[in-house]
Amino acid sequence: MNNELYRKLVDMYAGGELPEELEQELRGRALSDSGLAIEMQSLSDTVDALRAIPDPEFTEESYQRVLMRLYARGADIRPTGPTPTHLQYYLPIQG
Amino acid sequence: MVEKRWLNALAKGDPQALGGLYELYGERIFRYAYRMLGNRSDAEDATAETFLRVLRRSAELRADGAFRTWLFRITRNLCIDKLRQHKLMELPPDAQYSGSEERAALRITVQQALADLPNEYREPLVLCDLEDMAAREAAEILNISVPALKSRLYRGRRALRDKLIGTMERNR
Repeated sequence: MNNELYRKLVDMYAGGELPEELEQELRGRALSDSGLAIEMQSLSDTVDALRAIPDPEFTEESYQRVLMRLYARGADIRPTGPTPTHLQYYLPIQG
Repeated sequence: MVEKRWLNALAKGDPQALGGLYELYGERIFRYAYRMLGNRSDAEDATAETFLRVLRRSAELRADGAFRTWLFRITRNLCIDKLRQHKLMELPPDAQYSGSEERAALRITVQQALADLPNEYREPLVLCDLEDMAAREAAEILNISVPALKSRLYRGRRALRDKLIGTMERNR
């Protein structure tokens, strides 16, 4: 196998795109090729670390702030879900 | 299909339709914008602007399966504009700490390394690895062919690996 083909296979391996049979074969070759083994490990660790980044949270406050921005720009938007209780009323400012 | 129902309602001027589409896609659009921009306030702005564009183009939108792709493409363009402004203003990204200190530190390092990648590498990583989007749809959003998308995705992963190599070894 030439280097370019190996490189493509490792890329696909790291992304979990290789068919089971090819993945087994690549793992087998990595047993006797430490360079290939390091390449496979480091790239799949990178993809795992990337995919482990948590989703940014779309908080209730963000949801409402987006709505407020839309209202402010004149959009007639009526959410289909209920407005949370703590955002239904404006309390008078004291002091 | 819910999307089709809301798009038809929007074309007829139903005021609930935009709210329905916001319920359907608001979170994904916000997440994508946040990942592109790195801070909540700008992500909220980009999300609001995206849905304003939906409203403005309501007569032209069709429920033919391409709406979601179009929506992401709009958000992407807005994010690119904002990133250009950031370059001028050098706004710092929000940091998200959670979990154990070591793990949180690794996540921040990965996020930072991702943010430091050139756009042509970062975008395929965000769409395919973080938003879990199929290569075809991601390619359509980025307006490139599927082979070009894959090539950027693979090169992007390698570039990220090269930036992270020391950190990954310490965490192994």
